[in-house]
Amino acid sequence: MLRKEVNDLLTETNAGAPMGEMFRQYWVPALLARELPEDDCPPVRVKLLGERLIAIRDSKGRFGLMDEFCAHRGVSLWFGRNEEGGLRCPYHGWKYDVTGQCIDVPSEPEESGFCQKVKLKGYPLVKIGDVLWTHMGDAENRPPQPGWEFATVPPEQTFTSKRWQECNWLQAMEGGIDSSHVSWLHSGSLTSDPLFKGAKGNKYNQADKKPVFEVVESDGGLYIGARRMAEEGHYYWRITPWVMPSFTMVPPRGDHPVHGHFWIPIDDENAWAWSFDYHPTRALTKEERQAMMDGYGVHNQYVPGTYRPRQNKDNDYLMDREAQKRGETYSGIWGIAMQDASLQESMGPIVDRSKENLVSTDNGIIMARHRLRKAAEALRDKGVAPPGRVVEHQQVRSAAKVLPPDQPFKEAMKDDLRVRPGVKQTSV
Amino acid sequence: MLETPRPTLLSSCAMAATAAEARFRVPYPNSRDRASRIFALDQGAAEAMYRITEDPWHGAHFLTVAPGAEGLDPEAAKADAVPLTKPDGSPAKLSDEVAGADVVVLLASAGTNEGAAEVIAREAWKQHTMIAALALAGGRDGKAVDRVVNALRPLATVLVVARDDDFIPAMLTALRA
Repeated sequence: MLRKEVNDLLTETNAGAPMGEMFRQYWVPALLARELPEDDCPPVRVKLLGERLIAIRDSKGRFGLMDEFCAHRGVSLWFGRNEEGGLRCPYHGWKYDVTGQCIDVPSEPEESGFCQKVKLKGYPLVKIGDVLWTHMGDAENRPPQPGWEFATVPPEQTFTSKRWQECNWLQAMEGGIDSSHVSWLHSGSLTSDPLFKGAKGNKYNQADKKPVFEVVESDGGLYIGARRMAEEGHYYWRITPWVMPSFTMVPPRGDHPVHGHFWIPIDDENAWAWSFDYHPTRALTKEERQAMMDGYGVHNQYVPGTYRPRQNKDNDYLMDREAQKRGETYSGIWGIAMQDASLQESMGPIVDRSKENLVSTDNGIIMARHRLRKAAEALRDKGVAPPGRVVEHQQVRSAAKVLPPDQPFKEAMKDDLRVRPGVKQTSV
Repeated sequence: MLETPRPTLLSSCAMAATAAEARFRVPYPNSRDRASRIFALDQGAAEAMYRITEDPWHGAHFLTVAPGAEGLDPEAAKADAVPLTKPDGSPAKLSDEVAGADVVVLLASAGTNEGAAEVIAREAWKQHTMIAALALAGGRDGKAVDRVVNALRPLATVLVVARDDDFIPAMLTALRA
């Protein structure tokens, strides 16, 4: 349960809101790199943290993210012409470079210098891996560029997708650290999804539906350990890292690629669910990559030409009660990603947490909220930079392992939970 | 043949998930007060706990394992052999406290009174009561924390290692204690 004022603090992310200011301390994923595939390609509308922006890639391959609307008469620059080193408004020809600086106002004498007085708010946009990242905070307080492993392995080893989720970012993110739902909601997918099935660990998941949890704070966030019974009194541990504010990873299964997410606010009632898959030591196979593009694993299928899931609330997520009855899916919804999203969206745009009834197995969620609240308040009240901004905090991995009962995962899996270049993920 | 039931309205999920529809969620309470029993296993945990006992809780009982519990043999000790005190210093009986409890929360900062912790946990198991354990790690060295965690691990369904004592009220509030 959260009081309304705390719920508001954690869920509101526009500029000026404490959590909005906190998100602006980080590099966050803004677009897939393939959305701006070539120099002078069409501009792309982007809404992030409640701000309407436009992204461009100019004639020299430079990326930029700026206020969507022309400073002159407020026209959307989505209609603009991206050419010759900038984005030109089609209404009266005002032109902007990738920083948002106005570089041409055709109606004014060039010598007047008028255009130098006009600048749209602009943010940096850098390509790391498959993703274009932005930092929407103060330039003088910019953190080091992102160092997440999924974004820094060679391109053939990684795949990233994104989907529009029609609810607040926090209820989406909380699904990423809620380890106890897997044995229920996703139980059908463990045996059928090509990116999950076949792992020995799945049997432990299915056999023991009452995991025991251990939540341990890390410098950047949390490790949430779920343990289930394995053979001979040993424990099967699955460890989910959470790095502030909204990075989560799914513990791996067998030699399948490792998955994870970023949960980024579009506005207070919508979020981008970023989903990645990578293998630390080998290229993804053709079949794996195809499965990801086909919407298996943590990915999804789309309404063509959009990032809206094909299964969405307008078609009741293509609910299939017969498949539910047959046991193919537990909830009747196809696909792991939409099994989660359908339920999270059903809570409403921003769930009223004053009515929830958490139990002790929800302590990962409770601790994550606690840390978010403390960090947002420390930033607001004392200007303290929040955890998760430095590369060291980002060098985490999820892991799964069978351990003897007397070994704490935090110690026994210390190396498994850190990025080790050239060493594959620890998995069962 | 039974027809597959259809939603009452077309695109019912779309309509049901709107903020406008959220206004029609029934306003009635959806749970009753829980009986939460919080046990501070050592002095450090008790000090952290006493800072919040005056807050407005919903029926939570705060109890401290009193001096005299050191060396308690859990194999031999009966439930009420664990010396417990309430915040006002009056004694409490473990069997009475755990009877009817919804959740037992063990707070520890030192890894002492392992025997008492085991007896409390055993009593909770007998009553089919959930046990959560909170190891308070703030300002304590790693070995001390390991000692606490190792002592609590076999006893709890959920074990949290928290760096700050202020997670205690955050957790208890979240659990409607």
